[in-house]
Amino acid sequence: MSDEQQQDASKGPIGRFLAQPADSISKTIFVAVAVCLVASMVVSAAAVALRPLQEVNALKDKQINILQVAGVYDPEEDVVEAFAAFEPHVLELATGEFTDAFDATTFDDRAAADDPELSVELEDDPAGIGRQSKFVTVYLLRDEAGSIDKVVLPIYGYGLWSTLYGYIALENNGNDIYGLQFYEHGETPGLGAEVDNPLWKAQWNGKKLEDEDEILQINVSKAVTPAGPDYHVDALAGATLTSDGVHNLVNFWMGEAGFSLFLDNLKAGNV
Amino acid sequence: MGLRNFFDRIEPHFEKGGKWEKYFPLYEMVESFAFTPKTVTTAAPHARSYIDMKRIMTYVVLATIPCILMALYNTGYQTNLAIAEFGPSGWRASIIEFLRIGFNPANPFANMMHGLMYFLPIYITTLVAGGICEVIFATVRKHEVNEGFLVTSMLYTLILPATTPLWQVALGIIFGVIIGKEVFGGTGKNFLNPALTGRAFLYFAYPAQLSGDSVWVPVDGFTGATALAVTAADGVQELAAHGITWWDSFLGFIPGSLGETSTVAALLGLAFLLMTKIANYRMVVGCLGGMIGFSLLLNWIGSDTNPMFAMPWYWHLVLGGYAFGLVFMVTEPVSGSHTNLGRYIYGALIGFMVVMIRVINPAFPEGMMLAILFGNVFAPLIDYFVVQANIKRRAKRHV
Amino acid sequence: MAHKRREMLVDPLVDNNPITLQVLGICSALAVTSSMQVALVMTIAVTFVTAFASMFISIIRNHIPGSIRIIVQMVIIASLVILVDQILKAYAFEISKTLSVFVGLIITNCIVMGRAEAFAMKNPPIDSFIDGVGNGLGYGLILMLVGFIRELFGSGSLFGVTIFETVNNGGWYVPNGMLLLPPSAFFIIGLIIWAFRAWKPAQVEEREYKIQTVDAH
Repeated sequence: MSDEQQQDASKGPIGRFLAQPADSISKTIFVAVAVCLVASMVVSAAAVALRPLQEVNALKDKQINILQVAGVYDPEEDVVEAFAAFEPHVLELATGEFTDAFDATTFDDRAAADDPELSVELEDDPAGIGRQSKFVTVYLLRDEAGSIDKVVLPIYGYGLWSTLYGYIALENNGNDIYGLQFYEHGETPGLGAEVDNPLWKAQWNGKKLEDEDEILQINVSKAVTPAGPDYHVDALAGATLTSDGVHNLVNFWMGEAGFSLFLDNLKAGNV
Repeated sequence: MGLRNFFDRIEPHFEKGGKWEKYFPLYEMVESFAFTPKTVTTAAPHARSYIDMKRIMTYVVLATIPCILMALYNTGYQTNLAIAEFGPSGWRASIIEFLRIGFNPANPFANMMHGLMYFLPIYITTLVAGGICEVIFATVRKHEVNEGFLVTSMLYTLILPATTPLWQVALGIIFGVIIGKEVFGGTGKNFLNPALTGRAFLYFAYPAQLSGDSVWVPVDGFTGATALAVTAADGVQELAAHGITWWDSFLGFIPGSLGETSTVAALLGLAFLLMTKIANYRMVVGCLGGMIGFSLLLNWIGSDTNPMFAMPWYWHLVLGGYAFGLVFMVTEPVSGSHTNLGRYIYGALIGFMVVMIRVINPAFPEGMMLAILFGNVFAPLIDYFVVQANIKRRAKRHV
Repeated sequence: MAHKRREMLVDPLVDNNPITLQVLGICSALAVTSSMQVALVMTIAVTFVTAFASMFISIIRNHIPGSIRIIVQMVIIASLVILVDQILKAYAFEISKTLSVFVGLIITNCIVMGRAEAFAMKNPPIDSFIDGVGNGLGYGLILMLVGFIRELFGSGSLFGVTIFETVNNGGWYVPNGMLLLPPSAFFIIGLIIWAFRAWKPAQVEEREYKIQTVDAH
C-alpha cells in the first residue's frame, strides 16, 4: 500500500481517484456503478448475441420430438429440412376444425392454456391439467402424393409428481396409434421416468383408440382388458400412478373434451 | 464342562500377543454366545442389573417367535392357495413334491414346510452377508461382535417379501449394517434402526422387486394388490370384495411381507417385551395415540377424492407393517428417544407420520418403515428439547 | 513460485478438497451427478466461473470497498454464471436442459464465493485464477466420482454408453433405482469422505467432546 501512496504524485486525476482509500463514499459509488455497468454490458451482449442460436435450438428440440413421434427422425438429416414435411395448424377443439386466427408456426399452446381468453377451466379434469386451451397446434405429415399420412397431436397431463408433456402420432385413419412420446416430465427416475424407455414407447405402435363400436378402449393397465390386446399398453412396472396418469391423459385428449371431433373430421376425410 | 475347558484352552491364542490376536472378536462372539461374559465393568458407576445386552437381545429374539411361526405358516398358506390356481413351479415345489408333503392349504404341516422353504434361504443369506460385515468391522475396529445382530437379522428377514431375490437380501443387510450402524460406531451408537435401513434401501433401490402386486405371494402369475393398495384405490369397504376381512388381517392370513401380516403374533411379542420391561410402554402408548388420533381427525375431515381418508384406525392397526413395526422397531431402545416424555412424543410422531404417509402421500401406500426412520432421525432432537425444557423448569425454581 | 502455483492447483484435489474437506457445494453435487456427462459439463462450468470470478475479483481487489464487498463479488459471479448459462443454451442445448436451474445455482455455490472471499481478495490475479481452477477441479473430481458410481450402477452406463445391459432393455443388470435419486449422492459423498479420511488421517476433525475412559481417572 505504501508503494502506491508514494507514487500518488506522479499519477493523473484518474490515478489519484483510484488511489483513494477504497472505503470513501465517492469511490464506493464509483465502484458499484462501474462494476454494474460492465457486468450488465457483458450479460446483455451475450444474451443478445446468442439469442438467435438459442431460439433455433429450442425450436429444433420441439421439431425433433415431433419427428421422433412420427418415426421419421434421422440424426444424419437436417432437422429443419425434415420438418418441412410437417404442416402445422391451429385447431379449435370445440369445432374440430382448423382456424386461421393464429399463426400456426408461432402459436404457443402452453401460453394459451394459461390465458383466460383462450382457455377454459375444466370441471371434469381426469388429466389433472386445471385449464385447457381452446386452441392447440397440430401437425399433419403428408406423403409424396400430398394426402395425409399421419397426424401429430399434443397431449399432456399429470402423472405422479409432474405434468407430462408429449405428442401422440396417429395414422391417417384417425384410430391407429403410430407412436407416443413425452418430451418433458419430472417422474421418478428408474420408475415413472421409464415412459422414456424405447421398449415401452414401442408398445404404442399399432394400438387402436376405438373399437368397432366407436367406444374409446385404449388403456394403460397391468392386465389386458376385455377389449383385447389391440387396445392395451402394459403399465410401467412399479409406477402405478405414472401409468394411471398416462392412461387418463390419453383418454382425456382422445375423448370428447380433446380431439374426438377433429378425429371424426379426419375419418370423414374433411381435413 | 468340556466346552468351558475348550474355550479356556484356546483363549490365550486370541488374547493380546497370541497368534490369532486379530481374530479375538470372533472368539469372543462364540464364547459369549455360550457363556456369560467373565469380565465386569471396572470403572464407576457400577449399575447392577440382572439384564445385560445379551439377555435383552435374546429376549427380543424370543419375542419374535410368534411372528416367525406365523411367517412360516402364512407364507406357505398363501403360496399353497395360489398354487391351487396357478400350479407349482420352481425348485421349492420340486423339493416338496419329492418329499410328498403336498400343496394342500388346509394342511398346516404342508404350509409350515413350504413357508420354511422361503424363510430359511432369506434368513441364512441375511446371517451370512450381515455376519461377514459385522466380523470385518469388529476385526478392524477391535470391538466385539454382539448379539444385536441376531435381532437385526431376524427383524430384517421378517419384513421382507417372500419373493425378494437373495442377492438383494444380501445387499440390503450389508447396507443396513454399514450405513445404519457401523459408520456411527456400532451397536448402541446407531441412530437408525439397521434392519429398517436395509429394508428402506431395497425399497428405493429395487422398487419393482419389493412393491407392487406380484411380489407378496411367490407364485408365478399370481398378482394381488395389498390391502393398503386396495384401500388407496377403492376404500375400505372394497376390501371384502378382495376376500380380506378384519379378522383375517388381525390374525395374519393375508398376503404381505413374511412376518408382518399377523397383528396378534406381534401383540404376543409385545406382551412379552412389556412384561420383561425391554420395551418401554411409553413409546407404544405414544405411537398408538398418534395413529388413532390422527386417523380419527382424517376420518372427520373426510375427502371426496381420496378414499384413504375414511380408513378407520382399527384397520390402520392391522394392515401393513404397523403392528410389527410398533412392537419391534418403535420400541427399539437405541434408536428411539431416551427421555420419558420424549418417548411419548417420539411414539406419537411415528403414529402421526404413518397415517400421514399412508393417506396423503400418493406414492407410498405403506408408511410404517418410513415413519419409524423419520422418528429415529428426530429422536435425539426430541430428547434435546425435553432436557432443555427440564433445565429451564428447574432453573426457574431457583431464580 | 512455480512450485507454489503447482500446489495451488493440486492441493484442492485431495488434501484440501472443497467437497470432502470443506463440505461446500454439496447441493449441486447431489443434483447433477446422475450421469457423468452432465457432471462433466457442470465441472467445466463451475471451474470456469470459479477461475474467472477469482481472477476478476483479484484484479480489482484493492478498489473494492469493504462495505459493498460481497455485493460486488456477487455481481461478478452472477454475470459469469449468466454468461455460462447463455452459452450452454446456445451450444449445448440438450445438456442445458438436463442441468436446468443448476447452472443458475452456481451463483449460490459456496465454493465460488468461498474462494473469492478467502483467496482472491488477498492474492494477485494469476494466483487467484490458478486457485479457482484448482478448486473447480477438486469439486469436479468428486462430482465425476459420484457420477461414475451413480450412472454405472443406477443406469448401467457411462457417459451414456451402455456398460451393463439393464433388465428393462432385455439385459441382465437390475439397475439400482436409489442411485438415480439425488439423496443417494449423500451416501456416496459420505463414503468418499470416509475413504479420504481413512487414507489421509490428517483430515479427520478433532472431536468436539471428550470420551471419558478408564485411564482418565
